[in-house]
Amino acid sequence: MSEPLEATPHAFVRADREDGSVSFVVDESVYPLEAIYGATFTFLDRCFVFLGREGEGQVRVVLSAKKLPIADDELRGWVGELANELLACAWRGRILEQNRATIEAVTSQAIGGAMGPPSLDELEDFDFSEEPFEDPLGIAMSWEEKYGKKDKSQGGETEGT
Amino acid sequence: MSERLFGAMTPETFDARQPAFFRFRQLPMAPDKVVLSNLEGRWLVLDRPDFLAFAQGQVSEGTPLFQKLRERNFLRAYYDVPAATEMVRARHEFVGAGPNLHILVLTLRCNTTCVYCHASRANMDQVDTDMTVEIAEKSVDFILQSTNPAVTIEFQGGEPLVRFDLLQHVVRYANERNEAIGKEIDFTLVTNLSLMDEEKLDWLIENRVQICTSVDGPQDVHDKQRKLPKASAHGEAVKWIGRINERYEELGLDQTLYHVEALVTTTRPILDRWKELVDLYVDLGCRALFLRPLDPFGFADKTKRLIEYPRADYVTYYRNAVDYMIELNKGGVEILERYAAIFLTKILSGVDPNFLDIRQPSGAGIGQLAYSYDGKIFTCDEGRMLHEMGDDTFEIGHVMTSKYRDVVGHEAVRAVVIASQLDGQPDCVHCPYQPYCGIPPVHSHRIQGTLLGRMRESSLCAVHKGIQDYLFEKLASGDEETLRVLEKWTTIRPRDHFVQ
Repeated sequence: MSEPLEATPHAFVRADREDGSVSFVVDESVYPLEAIYGATFTFLDRCFVFLGREGEGQVRVVLSAKKLPIADDELRGWVGELANELLACAWRGRILEQNRATIEAVTSQAIGGAMGPPSLDELEDFDFSEEPFEDPLGIAMSWEEKYGKKDKSQGGETEGT
Repeated sequence: MSERLFGAMTPETFDARQPAFFRFRQLPMAPDKVVLSNLEGRWLVLDRPDFLAFAQGQVSEGTPLFQKLRERNFLRAYYDVPAATEMVRARHEFVGAGPNLHILVLTLRCNTTCVYCHASRANMDQVDTDMTVEIAEKSVDFILQSTNPAVTIEFQGGEPLVRFDLLQHVVRYANERNEAIGKEIDFTLVTNLSLMDEEKLDWLIENRVQICTSVDGPQDVHDKQRKLPKASAHGEAVKWIGRINERYEELGLDQTLYHVEALVTTTRPILDRWKELVDLYVDLGCRALFLRPLDPFGFADKTKRLIEYPRADYVTYYRNAVDYMIELNKGGVEILERYAAIFLTKILSGVDPNFLDIRQPSGAGIGQLAYSYDGKIFTCDEGRMLHEMGDDTFEIGHVMTSKYRDVVGHEAVRAVVIASQLDGQPDCVHCPYQPYCGIPPVHSHRIQGTLLGRMRESSLCAVHKGIQDYLFEKLASGDEETLRVLEKWTTIRPRDHFVQ
């Protein structure tokens, strides 16, 4: 039977001692779905994780013990850590978006520097037959392809020189 | 150049008093002081009223404070972009250098039983945990593929002296193979010293193998944490530290550079005995003491009930011990604390001493690799320790089958590199210690179940913050003698080699 768990906010958190589970309702307008996935994923080694739709814009997270019995303290620990990890994930998402360029530059330099250039043997083994990589910004396109005259049969204004 | 880049932001057209980007923190033990640092790691410690005036853009032009803020690049209108860029570059010089530290686990066998053994040692009869000659040679071949022109091969265990024959073979083989490659190779042996003898010592000195050991405190503490059957582990360590240092002296080597490096693993019983600990290290002739807290790896996880402690207690112990060390230095004794030296070098010199666990990105995979006795390769020694605990997250290849570029370009390495950049870390992005700090993701993974970690709850963050709070208090104290001591601790002197 689902009931409040001591020392947790009753509006969000319920515990089912028979099932050995604790549930937590997450508001998607506060925590993006990516943060919910990221935060709950860190619990896979400790408990079973169930996600379900609770209502409009709400996700219910259920953390369920892999072995019974389980103490209230442990359930409280899980749900407390989940709340903290949700905040960390949501905020980290924003920070990463702001600092993406720096992080990508440092990562490329670090990994590239450690790997060094490929040897001739490695180049020989390289599979060039795959489809071209995705290029949504058109970086690999020629200037003419990107900005040149459009096919007249497509109609509309032309741009470029 | 900066005026051209920021044409609209010149003192003539922009309020010269407005602050540039900064991070700040009120010092917990000196709440009237506020530390601020900027993007490139320049710093100031201000009194609270001065800080408020700065933050509100109300420091009058022409005042000494205004001048100081301008010199340290804290004012938007005068922000020197090229100087800041150069400083950021200097702080990250290690990025892209490739793996320098290569940890070779010759065996898991060990004749000592440590209550916190991070390496998950094996009994002396478990010869199946010895590295074979073939795996050792393949490991060396792999190491010599590193893009770094300088490599250090560190012998770890278990107790590496259990397989001294293999250690000798690795040194000879590496030197021989390197003749055609021309890297700078250093060798380091991490040992409990109990299996040392004069013959081995002669060979190690002759072959330029640096020796490092552990002393966890006075005899009663050390012997309780590190049990050696039928002998005192403390007695053996102390005896050999003295003997090795004596040999270095006989060879006419500079004692400030050439001595046995000893580390302490801080356990609960030593927290109140910091003075005895420092005195012991001074008496042993050690010039450095590394006050390392307990790590959550290996047997330490099982025995934490007996030896662990709140990190606030660790910070108190650290402050007491380093206060005492500073006083000893003022009296002419040369002993430095290694954590302080690492942070102070970054804070005062603007360069990074490349300590792999306190840098960003962390050294795992790109600065160090660990090779287990069975040939498995890990991002770092802690990753190997987790493997012994049943967690293979940081296993990235095998010396017999993996290609070098596949190992250092492994997805686990990429994840660790991204996760250890504090520009992506909540809390760290606003912490004034960010330019000097670093957290190994393997630690966050172990204690919080995520590579990224939550710094507010991280025991390692608490340690790093506590130490840097202390250091900035000292830097703000204005005590000239203290500042001279701290400055001296940042001096990096090359140790070309001890046997010429």
